[in-house]
Amino acid sequence: MPNSLAFRLFVSFAVWSLLVLPVTALVLVSGYRSQIEIGFDDDLSVYLTYLIGSTYPDKGTELKAPNLGEARFLLPLSGYYWQIKPLGVPQPTIIQSESLVSEVLKLPSELGVNPDAQLIRVAEVDGPDEQKLRVMEREVSYSDGDQQQSYSYAIALDKSGAEEAIYDFTTTLILNLVVLAGGLMLATFFQVRYGLWPLRDIGKRLSAIRSGEAERLEGVLPQEILPLQEELNALIQSNAHIVDRARTHVGNLAHALKTPLSVIINEAQSSNAPYAEKVIEQASLMREQIDHHLNRARIAARSGIIGSVTPVKPVIIGLANALERINRDKGLRLIVDCPTDVKFQGEKQDLEEMVGNLMDNAFKWAQSSVRVTVAMSLSNPKLLTLSVSDDGPGLTEEQRVAVIKRGRRYDETRPGTGLGLSIVADLAHLYQGSFCLEKAAEGGLKATITLPST
Amino acid sequence: MRLLVIEDDKDLNRQLVSALSFAGYAVDSAFDGEEGHFLGDTEPYDAVILDLGLPKRDGISVLENWRRDNRKMPVLVLTARDRWSDKVSGMDAGADDYVAKPFHMEELLARVRALLRRSAGLAKSEIECGELRLDTKSGRVTVSGQPIKLTSLEYRLLAYLMHHQGRIVSRGELVEHLYEQDFDRDSNTIEVFVGRLRRKIPANLILTMRGLGYCLTNQSPDA
Repeated sequence: MPNSLAFRLFVSFAVWSLLVLPVTALVLVSGYRSQIEIGFDDDLSVYLTYLIGSTYPDKGTELKAPNLGEARFLLPLSGYYWQIKPLGVPQPTIIQSESLVSEVLKLPSELGVNPDAQLIRVAEVDGPDEQKLRVMEREVSYSDGDQQQSYSYAIALDKSGAEEAIYDFTTTLILNLVVLAGGLMLATFFQVRYGLWPLRDIGKRLSAIRSGEAERLEGVLPQEILPLQEELNALIQSNAHIVDRARTHVGNLAHALKTPLSVIINEAQSSNAPYAEKVIEQASLMREQIDHHLNRARIAARSGIIGSVTPVKPVIIGLANALERINRDKGLRLIVDCPTDVKFQGEKQDLEEMVGNLMDNAFKWAQSSVRVTVAMSLSNPKLLTLSVSDDGPGLTEEQRVAVIKRGRRYDETRPGTGLGLSIVADLAHLYQGSFCLEKAAEGGLKATITLPST
Repeated sequence: MRLLVIEDDKDLNRQLVSALSFAGYAVDSAFDGEEGHFLGDTEPYDAVILDLGLPKRDGISVLENWRRDNRKMPVLVLTARDRWSDKVSGMDAGADDYVAKPFHMEELLARVRALLRRSAGLAKSEIECGELRLDTKSGRVTVSGQPIKLTSLEYRLLAYLMHHQGRIVSRGELVEHLYEQDFDRDSNTIEVFVGRLRRKIPANLILTMRGLGYCLTNQSPDA
């Protein structure tokens, strides 16, 4: 059973209509049937009274055949029958309507039906020509002096007309109820869809927030889910605040630790004391550890937060300006090949960190030019590929493997903490991207990262 | 060459001042953003070393203010905040270079030298003028390959003139760029130092432009 609101609403409605509609049908059909039967018995009773009235003997107990003035009692096997039978006589002479064509009616008294207060018996019997008959029988006694004779008066009418009417009614009713049920189901289906549409819409908007296309849950939502919207927006905001706060704390920690560390290193460097060398060594280790763990902390503060989207080109331009300024006396040529519409699905600071480290390395080693190329991945439209290459000395296969590992710096004589490339690798993996180093066509190092894009 | 160090950590400030002084610069120091901004705004520094996390006024806004007021001296930003976004915003604010803490003093000195060289339009760390040669990296001065000994003020004077070769430098300018802010300045002492310097290097390199100042040049004024 699917766990869905629409399904629940739909099923509960379906169960309800499956219960209610058959009961309604049952009630209506039995009501109709009893109406028909009451009318039928009324007819029987009227005919019976009339039959008794028209055969009342003038004198004595002998009856003469009545004329009920109803043509259907004369037509053979018409389904309208009457019959008078003397009781307590060994060879009774039965008087009956011509329609019976000498067939004899089975009587309720013969079937053992008990009479009611008016001595009337009613029963259903099989009649001639396979007719289903309803028979009403009444015993009447006549006396003249000491002579007494009882008679059984019976009227029988063919029920098939009435049954047909009931059958027709029932089929029409069921047909109508089925159509009604179908209509109601359809209505409920649309009602549920329409009613739950805002929820579906929220799903879309939340995924937009997650992918960074929106910053909060906007729009006018139905009253019932308004609190949800407010709480969600508050949650998103507090999430952003927490990340901001974590970052600020990390930054403050960096500032708080690094300045004293600078002092220690500088102090030790200007000292000739025997422990000075040890202090410098240990302080340098501390600095590497701080850098490493600060970066881990920054990364950790970010993972799992609601994402954002960063256009790639402005980041590269900003970094290029800064790096060209820092390295202006090297006379390097920077070639940037980046379509303006490429967007990175993630934080601007992270992209800056990755591209900044790669470009910084390239600027450090390049002889004459640095090339930055950005393109959407050919195999996957959800990925972008960014590569930075230089025409410097490059690295050998083993050096490339070693340099990505934490804290390894290929050339200790050049400034830099040696963490640059491992930070790039960490960040790229955090974004489920990849990082690789290879030999550039220009001869130097080519670093390529793939990152999620939108 | 006169430098300004703006750094709120007293120990680091002291270390920077002493290392830079040792390297032959006149160094002023400030400990907060307001004081630093004022000094940079009023005194003619050849370069500034600016910490970004400063009390009273942060480094970025100090830098932006200088640049808005057309103060063009090279600025080396010094900060513990070493994210690229911080670097980019520092460079965007008008910094010329960036050193992340903790740093090695040699690296900082090298960057300062590069900044000064660059702002003087020189390409190499060795500056030449005829037979005279100044290695800004080691602070060595040679004449025809023979090292000569200079006092710290003589060195400052020579270095300033070497960085501004071929240009007439007034006595007032020399006073402003050779002495620290609170030094008792007397432009007459400049004459004394120029005189001493002329005795140690080929005397014809420093020309006296009467009423204007001095000019270090390899070419004769008539040529």
